[in-house]
Amino acid sequence: MKKYFENNNDVGSNYSIFQKKNTFLSLITIFIIIFHAQGQTPNDALMMPSKNICILLSYDHGQFDRYWEKDYLRKNETIATVNRETILPMAAIGIFDNLNLYLSLPYVKTESSEPNGGKFAGVKGFQDFGISLKYKAFEKAIGIGELSLFSTIGYTTPATNYLSDYMPYSLGFGAPEFSLRGIAQYKLKNGFYVRGMIAHLWRGYTEAERDYYYNNGSYYSAIMDVPNAWNFEGILGIWLLNNSMKLELNYTGLKSTSGDDIRPYNAAQPTNKVKFDRIGASIQYYIPTIKGLGVVGYHNRVVNGLNTAKFSNTGIGLTFQFNFIKEKNQEQDAQ
Amino acid sequence: MHNKYYKLILFVFIFLIEISCEKEIPTNLKYENYAYSGTDENGGNWNPILIDNGTDIDVSLPEDINSDGYKSEISELKAAISNISSDQKNAIDYWTNNPVVRWNEIALELIAKYNLIPGPNDDDTYTLPNPNNPEGPPAFPFAHPPYACRALAYLSVAQYDGLVSVWYYKYEYNRPAPYQQDASITYAYEPNDIPSYPSDGAVLARVSKKILSAMFPLESEYLQKLENEHLESLKLSGGNVSSDIIAGTNIGDAISEIALARAASDGMKKAQTSKAVSDSIKAAAFERFGWQWDNLEVPVRPVGLTPLFGKVKMWNIDNVEDVRPIPPPQLDSEAYLKDVAILKDYADNVTEERRRIANFWQDGLGTYTPPGHWNRFANQFIVENKMNPLRSARTMAYMNMAIMDAGISCWDAKYYYHYPRPIQNIPGFKTIAGTPNFPSYTSGHSVFSAAAAEVLAYIFPEKANLVRGWAEEAAISRVYGGIHWTFDAEIGTDQGRKVSQYTIDVAKSDGAD
Repeated sequence: MKKYFENNNDVGSNYSIFQKKNTFLSLITIFIIIFHAQGQTPNDALMMPSKNICILLSYDHGQFDRYWEKDYLRKNETIATVNRETILPMAAIGIFDNLNLYLSLPYVKTESSEPNGGKFAGVKGFQDFGISLKYKAFEKAIGIGELSLFSTIGYTTPATNYLSDYMPYSLGFGAPEFSLRGIAQYKLKNGFYVRGMIAHLWRGYTEAERDYYYNNGSYYSAIMDVPNAWNFEGILGIWLLNNSMKLELNYTGLKSTSGDDIRPYNAAQPTNKVKFDRIGASIQYYIPTIKGLGVVGYHNRVVNGLNTAKFSNTGIGLTFQFNFIKEKNQEQDAQ
Repeated sequence: MHNKYYKLILFVFIFLIEISCEKEIPTNLKYENYAYSGTDENGGNWNPILIDNGTDIDVSLPEDINSDGYKSEISELKAAISNISSDQKNAIDYWTNNPVVRWNEIALELIAKYNLIPGPNDDDTYTLPNPNNPEGPPAFPFAHPPYACRALAYLSVAQYDGLVSVWYYKYEYNRPAPYQQDASITYAYEPNDIPSYPSDGAVLARVSKKILSAMFPLESEYLQKLENEHLESLKLSGGNVSSDIIAGTNIGDAISEIALARAASDGMKKAQTSKAVSDSIKAAAFERFGWQWDNLEVPVRPVGLTPLFGKVKMWNIDNVEDVRPIPPPQLDSEAYLKDVAILKDYADNVTEERRRIANFWQDGLGTYTPPGHWNRFANQFIVENKMNPLRSARTMAYMNMAIMDAGISCWDAKYYYHYPRPIQNIPGFKTIAGTPNFPSYTSGHSVFSAAAAEVLAYIFPEKANLVRGWAEEAAISRVYGGIHWTFDAEIGTDQGRKVSQYTIDVAKSDGAD
């Protein structure tokens, strides 16, 4: 993402950005665009200045050929390698300098590699609509660096009537989620920083299309309880090249607070107790010659888990930041 | 500014309420004890299934209600009731005065628990569940639809025969229930004038425990606990003294032995064949028709599911070939090609309605199977109609015999015709339901469902249109799922109706109507 602390007061340059933006959006349409929720997300320590908007587009490809059935790592040729492609459009809007709004709506496509023993059809469609608000609560120079604290509340809900009870192809878990996050970052003057995030995810109920299921006992209902979860992140990062490039190593953990285990050689279901440890790396670069434009790339892999896929994913994306109020003024001026 | 924060707080609050409200998701049929719509005092003269008459099991004359022995039983009962715990009260509420439904639900739960197909070993071989080593892995049994329908049939038939015998002696000996004799005892359920010796609840508890323990050997401890709880609740409800219970469990033991002896020799042991036998069955079909079904899993399962289930002893049909359906279409026929086009169309255009139907009736791995689904409907109708336990067990016995006969007939057709599945014949074809490990023609869902629906239509005429509609939907659901041809479903439905008529004819002359 663009460096938000860089203020765009120059109206003329903004106008040219606006023009370029259209050019780039065309390119985006042609090449199937890119970006992932890396940097300038509800989880990180970046803030958009007031009246700035950042559009993100990412393409993500993930896959797994093994999954943990409880704690047993299962290879299952019925599903072979499951591929998952995601196109994520996201907008980050600076309401105030210390309050940002995020909107997102991923489009997901899943399918098994060929050959496979199950011949199951994959699925595609819009997954969950997400909205969240990030608030910078604290920022102060302490010792040799600067400490900042953030809190994010978020809400996601299925955007379409996709079937969550069709694992591992289902687009998502099919239930609303309310999240509350706390984020702390300590950044040194030389560009190094560490960040920690802890979140609790309150997940609601999803509706299956069958009205009986087994979850350590009979349930005579289509309603499935998706377990709540804790979510953790630890990040080691550095800004390089005069603050135009950012490198990060990250750890992400997720731990359901309840739920059942996947039964032997049986399909997963939304009621499962999921746990994973994931590590990843990302790089983000703000192209100095094109104001407002950034590119991002990342790779993540799940290294340990319970009732979840041994999933690895790679993504690339473009970010574009502009000042929407000023552009409006600019348009009016032009008339 | 402040206004914005209020809105924000409100926004958060509304979402928190929406998400975090705990819903109570039902784990069984919600019903309370009820006044029976009839007592069926002649029920002891109805024709049972396994035994010739209700009198076949000997039950001794009970002690007189004025005897010291009986009086001490009553005072023992009163003492126990006066010390009742809240767990014991909950047990009384749970079991109700129609425990036929509860034991059926327990069976359905065990089916769902054990309906897991064994996965491949590291060397790509498969190990079959072994009754001589039930722990496995894989655990015994794999409660697939043939296994499930058979377990339910034996359970229901044994319950029914036990209750016919109980009903005979109830009205033969006419010993009133404790709460009828002693005004200080309050019955926990709706009072009735059915004599209490022998206890109908006790025969159900004992028979159910024994049949289900034989079918699900790893659950015998769990089932014993349930039996104990049920037997205790029969007394604490004020409905039975100890001697009522003992007379009931004695009948239960005798009937269970007869039922399990039949089960041991009905041919199920041979249903899952060796690869050599399976290959010869396949070769015979290829010789006859020029086609054969193949398992497409990776690694390939060497043998389909229970190739000789079609040879298992039927309940009400002498020869399975009497109900064998006509052959399916030739693979170059117009009917077949038309079906290929239909299947492709459904796969390319998955509507929400077809997807919903495919999933609602799927009853696949990990669930109570299609026979279980129909048992669930029957449980609802039984409660709606306020049936007493005897009539409930009769309903279940005839329905589950028809379902098992339907399964046997269906499996006979499946392995006689050995017809390929859509994924085998249509290149690149994809499904939204899992393709099972057995030939296509005819559809098990169709045959099971039509048979069940016909028995339910006979017993609950007001539901006839409803259940026949459901059976047709269950049949077509498999075509929507992409795993059956339309003729598998349509001819399967006819087959189920035809098979079930044999059972209904027996039911019509058993003395209950």
